[in-house]
Amino acid sequence: MNKITNRAVSVLLIAALIIVGLTVYVLRYIDHGKSWAMSFSRANAGVTGTVTDRDGLVLAAFDETRNAYAENALDREACYHVTGDYWGRSGTGILSAYWDDMQSFSLLTGTTHAESAELKLTVDTGLCRTAYAALLGQNGMGAAMLMNYRTGEVLCMVSAPSVDPLDSETEPPEGAYINRCLSSVFTPGSVFKLVTAAAAIETVPNMDSRQFYCENLYTIAGVDIKCTGPHYTQTFEQALANSCNIAFAQIAVKVGQTNMIEHVRAYGFLDRHELSGLRSAAGNYPLDFVGDPELAWSGIGQSTDLVNPYAMLRFVAAIANHGVLVEPHLLMSETPAAGETRLMQADTADRLAAMMNYNVVSHYEPEDNFPGLPLCAKTGTAELGDGTSHAWFVGFLNDEAHPYAFVVLVERGGSGLRVAGPVANRLLQEAMKR
Amino acid sequence: MLYCRLKYYVKLSAAVDDFLSYSLTATKYVLILLSLAILVRCLRSMLSEKYESEVWAYIRLGRELLPATHWENIIGRSRSADVRIDRKGIGRVHAVLKRSDNGVWTIYDVFSRRGVWVNSIKVGPRGMNLDTGDVINLAGTTVRFQDITTAKRQKLEAQRTVPGKSVSPFGTLLELTVFELFLLLQHTMTAREEHIASIALAFAMLLALEWACYLSMRLMGRSGFEVETLAFYLTALGLSVAASSTPGDMYKQILLMTAAVVLFLLMGWWLRSLHRTTLLRMTVGICALALLALNVLTSDAVFGARNWLDFGGYSFQPSELVKVAYLYVGASTLDRLYRKRNLLAFIAFSAVCVVALALIGDFGTALVFFTCFLVISFMRSGSIATVLLAVAGAGMAGVLAVSMRPYIGQRFASWGHVWEDIYGAGFQQSRAMSAAAGGGLFGKGAGSGWLKQVFAANTDLVFAMVCEEQGLIIGICMVLAVLAMAFFAVRSARHGRSAYYAIAACGAMSMLMVQMALNVFGSVDILPFTGVTFPFVSRGGSSLLSCWMLMAFLKGADTRRGASFVVRPVKTIEEYEVVYDAEKDDYDYDDDGTESGD
Repeated sequence: MNKITNRAVSVLLIAALIIVGLTVYVLRYIDHGKSWAMSFSRANAGVTGTVTDRDGLVLAAFDETRNAYAENALDREACYHVTGDYWGRSGTGILSAYWDDMQSFSLLTGTTHAESAELKLTVDTGLCRTAYAALLGQNGMGAAMLMNYRTGEVLCMVSAPSVDPLDSETEPPEGAYINRCLSSVFTPGSVFKLVTAAAAIETVPNMDSRQFYCENLYTIAGVDIKCTGPHYTQTFEQALANSCNIAFAQIAVKVGQTNMIEHVRAYGFLDRHELSGLRSAAGNYPLDFVGDPELAWSGIGQSTDLVNPYAMLRFVAAIANHGVLVEPHLLMSETPAAGETRLMQADTADRLAAMMNYNVVSHYEPEDNFPGLPLCAKTGTAELGDGTSHAWFVGFLNDEAHPYAFVVLVERGGSGLRVAGPVANRLLQEAMKR
Repeated sequence: MLYCRLKYYVKLSAAVDDFLSYSLTATKYVLILLSLAILVRCLRSMLSEKYESEVWAYIRLGRELLPATHWENIIGRSRSADVRIDRKGIGRVHAVLKRSDNGVWTIYDVFSRRGVWVNSIKVGPRGMNLDTGDVINLAGTTVRFQDITTAKRQKLEAQRTVPGKSVSPFGTLLELTVFELFLLLQHTMTAREEHIASIALAFAMLLALEWACYLSMRLMGRSGFEVETLAFYLTALGLSVAASSTPGDMYKQILLMTAAVVLFLLMGWWLRSLHRTTLLRMTVGICALALLALNVLTSDAVFGARNWLDFGGYSFQPSELVKVAYLYVGASTLDRLYRKRNLLAFIAFSAVCVVALALIGDFGTALVFFTCFLVISFMRSGSIATVLLAVAGAGMAGVLAVSMRPYIGQRFASWGHVWEDIYGAGFQQSRAMSAAAGGGLFGKGAGSGWLKQVFAANTDLVFAMVCEEQGLIIGICMVLAVLAMAFFAVRSARHGRSAYYAIAACGAMSMLMVQMALNVFGSVDILPFTGVTFPFVSRGGSSLLSCWMLMAFLKGADTRRGASFVVRPVKTIEEYEVVYDAEKDDYDYDDDGTESGD
């Protein structure tokens, strides 16, 4: 008997192998549990959910069997970069960012889903559609954002070209999956003069009593700065309205690189921001010592300057709101906004606002280009060195009923006023109806 | 949702309502705590309590009195001999001393070189009966046989530990009862209204079965109930799986559980008599082969494997019954183990079973049988070389099977890559892993999972289904429960009366463990997906029946004092001896008739 029963220990070998296997499983569960659970997560949590715009229009709806989007193809494309898709191809999209919130996972509790898997966005589909159509009306490449600078609600975030998530037949244009509002950075050109101007107001005494002289060409340390002028003698205000390169070259040098960097950083141009969980790209400004000529170019938005459209929106929204940025967001549940940040002194902001209004009144032919809009804005035509230029138009409505700040960028579109201006006008005219 | 349903049933004030909704969330933690408690109590009771051997006879060697602690004892020079006589000339395994049910002792010469003489008569191949005082000559060494007296036996018995002293089986069963009630509570909140009554009835039936089982054990004066408790624990989880996946089938489930427990008791009762048991071996073997043959010839392919037989609407898996038969036939008493014919017959029987299952296409079950074959043949022969040879042979046969049967090959191809083909070959496993992970450690609650919608969730993917609904901890408890029984089988085997019970118990547990391993690890992509059932838990009638019947083998090996109903207690053993003596003439003691059907 003993002989045989001693050999019974071989049975324990099987038990040992099972324990090894179980350990392997538990380790794999710790490593991959989340991705396993999330693979069929809608089914996992039994969730049916919807993503709607601010008026309740359904932008995305899902249940165990179905993935749905907005009914109208144009709406789907216009809102694609807000909603994203169920496969996470867009990189920035509420569906990807809030998937985990709609049903979260932890190794302890497994998948759980929030009380309501309904997300109401601050986005206005009508505005998105208008902006998208307007961008398509130009060269079909660009970004447009519009937000309420009092509440922080983002009403419009459109990037073109875009994708129809329901259309699996046609190959989307190159770069369609990139959200130009958040994920891209562009040479800012003259819109950056707002930044230089703000830095100057805060660091250089008596800016308003200074005068700037432009004769089309100005030389700093042997390097030529050209201007579209001649603008001859100008005040600070007129220099911004003229978008005079020579004046802003001088201002940038006057402010100095250290101060410029400090303010560019303070205004948030060098940071990555978060818009309701979606991350934006960081911009660029020369941080190493570059010398006066390069500093001059950087002050007029050329050099190695790169600006993210969303960062620019935050900047103009702060100007509009007396220097205080109400944290922008995409979810209705985040209103009132989580925080406010003072980007600049109230005086600085109000001075800039007045100057931006002067820009419009004196130079942008508002009766023809922006009829009926209480507009404060700045154009930008950022030369890329290959004969093309990015067209920018940024600003805000100085109107308590319509407190909207906006950024429009048409990539390689040409003139800021001629190309980006009309897009902004269509967007703002539509916004004024709200 | 739980909350609403409760409100619907019980109209209570808001405060009480709130309190209830919180306590309901707490049920899943209670279930886990109870699971752990049940497991720990059973483990402590089975593995850490004292377990002394019985004494059945003595061999007097000069002044020394060597006890024979089994019904089958090897006498020899070997360190592992039961009665060790280290004298010159005695073989390592020289003779087998065997006691039959009726108390008659027989000595067999096990191919010793120098022979065995009893009272100067040479012992032949059929053995020779012994009486107290007989002189046995083993290669020149003289010993005297001395049967134990009734008084001495009862005195020794009284000194052995009675199980259940430190861990009361009543307490464990009470915990199990609460566990089942909480499980039922969860179901009443998630099940559809029309099913609640039948689910409650099924749980009530399960409770009735386990308490009836327990009380009848107590009435018989038995105190070992750990194996049954663990089996009922697993059956309860199986019932929960059935209640959430096929709530319309509860009455069938009630019938099956009852049948399973009745079969367990009948089988246990039958196994009480070793003589009776061995008598039927050939018949059982032939029936098993016939059943398999019928299966091979008649069944159509069902889901890749032709392992179903249909009887007027009831489908049934012959391979499950054959499992029981295989152990019944494959286990053997010690005296026969040393006969070549017996070994050859066993190998032939095993080969026929495995080949038949391979023909049917039930690759998983064939593997279960094969592993069991390895364990039994290793226990019999102790030869690792033989086992390796068998593995090599099976490996080659396996390669052939894989190359010849495309669907098996496909399962192997997707092994380890299920996430690359979640709509094809990896469909079930990827969902199983996702659902299991979705349950976390504590689960979503009975009936709240989604995996049950996936094909074969309540059979092949049942581990994942339990993990999803009850959480990983209970999933692991479920595996540990089976392992605990296996540890107990190994521990009991050491003190078993007959090699038959020891081999059968160890074989049964290795069968169940391999089956469980294939089920669990197949569904989570650690092993290829073979589609076998999880013992007790997977839904499937034949499987539940066979698992419970296998438990009878395990009970047969449990010789703790007054523990198992399958083992005759020492104090009443005389009565049986008398009965057997009266019927003695009916028995044919020819042990040469082996099961090969020659």
